[in-house]
Amino acid sequence: MRRGWAYIVSISAVAVVFSPVLRPSQRDSFPLSTYPMFSDDLGRESALATAVGITGDEQVRRLSPELISGGYEPVRAYATVEASIANGDTAALCGEIAERTAKSRSNEIVAIEVVTEVHDVVAWFEGDKEPAQRIVHARCPVNASPVEAR
Amino acid sequence: MITAIRGTFHRFDTRFMEAAPARRLATLRILVGLFATVFLVVRSSYLFSISGLPAARFEPVGLLGWLGEPLPVWLVKCALAFAVACGCASVVGWRYRVTGPLFALGFLLLTTYDNSWQQVAHTENLAALHLAVLAFAPAADALSLDARRWSRPAVGLGARYGWPVRLMSIITVTTYVIAGIAKERNGGLHWITGDVLRNQIATDNLHKILLGDTYSPLGARLVAHAWLFPPMALATMVVELGAPLALLRGKVRAVMVSAMWCFHVAIVGVMAIFFVYPLTFVAYASLLRPERLADAIEARVRGRRIPAMSNSA
Repeated sequence: MRRGWAYIVSISAVAVVFSPVLRPSQRDSFPLSTYPMFSDDLGRESALATAVGITGDEQVRRLSPELISGGYEPVRAYATVEASIANGDTAALCGEIAERTAKSRSNEIVAIEVVTEVHDVVAWFEGDKEPAQRIVHARCPVNASPVEAR
Repeated sequence: MITAIRGTFHRFDTRFMEAAPARRLATLRILVGLFATVFLVVRSSYLFSISGLPAARFEPVGLLGWLGEPLPVWLVKCALAFAVACGCASVVGWRYRVTGPLFALGFLLLTTYDNSWQQVAHTENLAALHLAVLAFAPAADALSLDARRWSRPAVGLGARYGWPVRLMSIITVTTYVIAGIAKERNGGLHWITGDVLRNQIATDNLHKILLGDTYSPLGARLVAHAWLFPPMALATMVVELGAPLALLRGKVRAVMVSAMWCFHVAIVGVMAIFFVYPLTFVAYASLLRPERLADAIEARVRGRRIPAMSNSA
């Protein structure tokens, strides 16, 4: 009886852990996952969805993951901006980031831009640091509500 | 043919149901429970911080997929405090039949909530699965307050202490195989022979640089040397798809466990990504003989007590 129970539990547990592989939808979940990290062919050109700070003389300043997404993980910051672009609510996200930036007392930054920057990732490490393309999804002033969304 | 299948199953059955010491399962309870409890405590400030994000950022997954909106932050704080208390109780083996399952459930729900903010990480999955196995196993029959309280005769070997440990090991290697299958599905042979890994490492490090995060200077330097990446990709696939070899005995197991650990060290080296559970070796404890660690600690404590007693005498 105990042997049978051990096999029932074990086979069920392994089947459950393996089940995401057999699902038609490859959408990732937790704790049952398809572990898709590092598996996609991203290509050399990478589009980075992010938010940047803009200074009074229109210089770009990089923002920390905390300012962008409220958490310290860069992957989450990237995912937050990407989801916001997909959902079409970049103006709202821009406002949130502007609010966090204002609280952080980054005096130099006068505006926030939610952007997609396209880089050749290999060329970047070889010295070519200018993005091949830059799309501004939303821009909003720091210390105020969003004024414009593109 | 049937004889061969029977023979294989018989060998598997003998191995899977082989008796193991109660202390092995108990040591795993302590190690995995301690890891998960410390993880929750260290992660708490992050969890509270993201719990306060706008509802639009909430995309529930897994068991919490039915949640329409985020939970109030006070509820997350209470749940975390309760889970940590259950975690401490399960580590010391206090009323484990209740605290063990409660802690496993609490850890699962909190980490699911943590992963429900537009990003599914892969750091806590295996710990949550291991806790689930331990929760329903007799993991507090030794090295626990329960064992002292019941003052039972000392428990030794038993099949019921063995198969949950082997189940944990099978789950561990299965997660590696699934990761290998994902790479094979998404990239096929090109994942090994092409630039997929190089582009992954370059992209990850560039994103970190642009987001002001810690990146890997080593990974950034390696990107310029394309020839390095196919061997690295091949080694990754060998480790992931070959992980079941760690279920064998002897040197093969030792080599595979070392390879899996080195694989995570390499990820730290080239991408500055820390998979803490395997890096601390706790993820692989079920593949080894963790009770030796408990034995060594006990011997050391006894060694200290004896001179202290003789001094006082």
